[in-house]
Amino acid sequence: MSRTQDSPPHARSWRDIPQQLKPRAMSAGGRRRVWRHSLRSVMAVLAIVLIGVVAWGVNEALQDPAPGGAARAADATPVKEIALATDGVLDQAWITRTLALPKAATLMELDLGKLRERLLASGQVHTATVARKFPSTLAVTLAERMPVARIMAQLADGSTRELLVARDGIVYEGAGYDPAIVNSLVWLDGVKLVRSQDRFQPIPGMEPVADLLAKARNEAPHLYATWKSVSLARLASDHELVVNSTVVEQVTFSAAVDFFRQLALLDLLVDTGQPLKDVNLAIGRASDADGSYQVPVTLATPPAPGTANPPAKAPAAAPKAGATDQPAPFFIPFNPPQKKNPREL
Amino acid sequence: MSSSPTFIGAVEIGTSKITVFIGEYNGRELAIIGRGECQSRGIIKGTVVDYKAASECTHSALELAEREAGERIDLVYLAQTGGHLEGFYNEAAVSVKAADNMIGAEDIRTVCELARAKELPAGRLVVHHIRRPFRVDGRLVPNPEHLVGQRLEVGYWTVHGQENKLADFIHVIRGFNLEVRELVLSSLATGHMITTPEERQHGVLAIDIGAGTTDFALYRDGVPHTTGVVPVGGTHITNDLSIGLRLAEGKAEKLKHRFGRAAVVTRDKAEKVWLDGNFAIGDRQFSRHAIEQICAARTWEILEIVKKKLGNAFTPETCSAGVVLSGGTAKLAGIAETAARVFGVPAHLGETPAWVTENLRDPGYNTALGVLYYGVSSRAERADAPRRKGGFLASFSRLFAAN
Repeated sequence: MSRTQDSPPHARSWRDIPQQLKPRAMSAGGRRRVWRHSLRSVMAVLAIVLIGVVAWGVNEALQDPAPGGAARAADATPVKEIALATDGVLDQAWITRTLALPKAATLMELDLGKLRERLLASGQVHTATVARKFPSTLAVTLAERMPVARIMAQLADGSTRELLVARDGIVYEGAGYDPAIVNSLVWLDGVKLVRSQDRFQPIPGMEPVADLLAKARNEAPHLYATWKSVSLARLASDHELVVNSTVVEQVTFSAAVDFFRQLALLDLLVDTGQPLKDVNLAIGRASDADGSYQVPVTLATPPAPGTANPPAKAPAAAPKAGATDQPAPFFIPFNPPQKKNPREL
Repeated sequence: MSSSPTFIGAVEIGTSKITVFIGEYNGRELAIIGRGECQSRGIIKGTVVDYKAASECTHSALELAEREAGERIDLVYLAQTGGHLEGFYNEAAVSVKAADNMIGAEDIRTVCELARAKELPAGRLVVHHIRRPFRVDGRLVPNPEHLVGQRLEVGYWTVHGQENKLADFIHVIRGFNLEVRELVLSSLATGHMITTPEERQHGVLAIDIGAGTTDFALYRDGVPHTTGVVPVGGTHITNDLSIGLRLAEGKAEKLKHRFGRAAVVTRDKAEKVWLDGNFAIGDRQFSRHAIEQICAARTWEILEIVKKKLGNAFTPETCSAGVVLSGGTAKLAGIAETAARVFGVPAHLGETPAWVTENLRDPGYNTALGVLYYGVSSRAERADAPRRKGGFLASFSRLFAAN
């Protein structure tokens, strides 16, 4: 009796009987068993939580300087090594000197909070982490400040000392830097240092200074190399920074305008070859006629009539009358050359 | 095989008692680590008639077994019996597809599906599909794959039961928060415990006479040929003793155990036996001859019903290994001789395999042991499936498998 294969019907099997749990159909023994099972599951979860809490507690106990427990086990071993990890220039000798750990001190005897404060007191250290690494290593991780300028400060005893200033205005002594780098830094001027206990208070408004100096160092290093000082005297009142350089006696930058544009103008002015004495980049204006930009410039020697570049436009301002012994400021108009790359100086 | 131990539960819910075994299988050997036994209540002739009572005693047995084992089980294999179980034979044949007439897996799958595809009446569920050997152009083969032939035939003995009655048993187990992994036909579980592969190859009839039901399995060519359940058993004898001798059922049961025989051997009709034998008030005398007569008549009757139910499937020629008896009622003296006379073939009491410990060597445990053994063999087969196709455990398990 040969048959064809036309998806034969399937008889229902006992497996089609649903096997769901029905509490009302359970006996007392069954309920007890389910309860016991649930209780066991809860106990298992609680046990896991308890183990977690105990592990956390042990970890905390090891981290904390509080005496007792596992910490006591490391009492006997003195600190053998200070493991330093830093993103700056500070070295092992500095850390050893600064921490000044007592001889034969064990890890558990050290007050990590105090050690951290000692590190932060230098000013050069921005953040510090001090941790015990059993059995006998003290792990120190530092994040250092980078200097953006230097300043000459008068100390309490009347002597003067060269200090460094970071971007956040922190004044610090600086250790481990290459002298060439330190000497390349611009001096700060027009700042009144305020002493607070054994250190100076942070200088306010250092951010625009740091921005200007960083921009000049990166985009116009030939100009930056001629800068001697930056004055913050007019920063608070006029939002202006005054730079003193070997090429131009006084360059005034506006802290409210893009430094890159101002540096570009200064570069063009310097390129004209005129003996510049004073350039005020903070109050220039654009010409409506051809889009050229004009800034007030004071020459070191006023140009003889007819020798100066004949302006394409009439000067916007004439030299002051009666100021014959002083070089009079005048405007030098210039048209920035069209460059393919607008950021190229 | 996995070396981590697996815990397997086997449950037999009988009319007189509920037996639970918990086995620990380590991939190589089986150790019975827990046994729970409880007097049965709420079960009559393999059917739940009082759910609460049946649940309570089943759960008590499960609790006892778990306590003894010291382990918690999540699933069990459940022995299934009852007068509602019936079986039928259906066969199918296909012409071999390949041009070179080599039988492929697709041919085998097709013929098996066709043979199992018989629809059942409403409210009936399949419990087992028991496959008989394949036939390739009329010759019997255990595995026809890659053999050459034109016609492939196979037949299935399908055992089905009433949905409500099967569900009752499953709900009883589920009420203890246990999953029923497999229903195992009691007759097959017992049959594989008390017969040897050689006997099954030659043809043997395994009869398990319980309290409420009598399960039987007829083996031919090494595989089950016909199975069945008769809703009469030891309680039938007890009832007749109770009525015939005007006794309470408990006392009749006691009398049956002490003096009952499946064949009449007492010639002296005047010979009396005491009910309790302690000469206390209420102790009575009964004719031993009458007791034996009642027991023999009912035993004969039970065996006759089995023979009648087997019909043409049983002939002394196809059952050369004889009849093997098991179950609590098989402890009745002289039952083997009666069976031999009824069936016309040698009969003997089934022996529990050697690996079973002494305290479990009782005919009443054979079904539960067989179910446990089935659980182990199905686990072993599942673990070995990619690597091994043969083996004793696997072959036992395959008898219950769908294909």
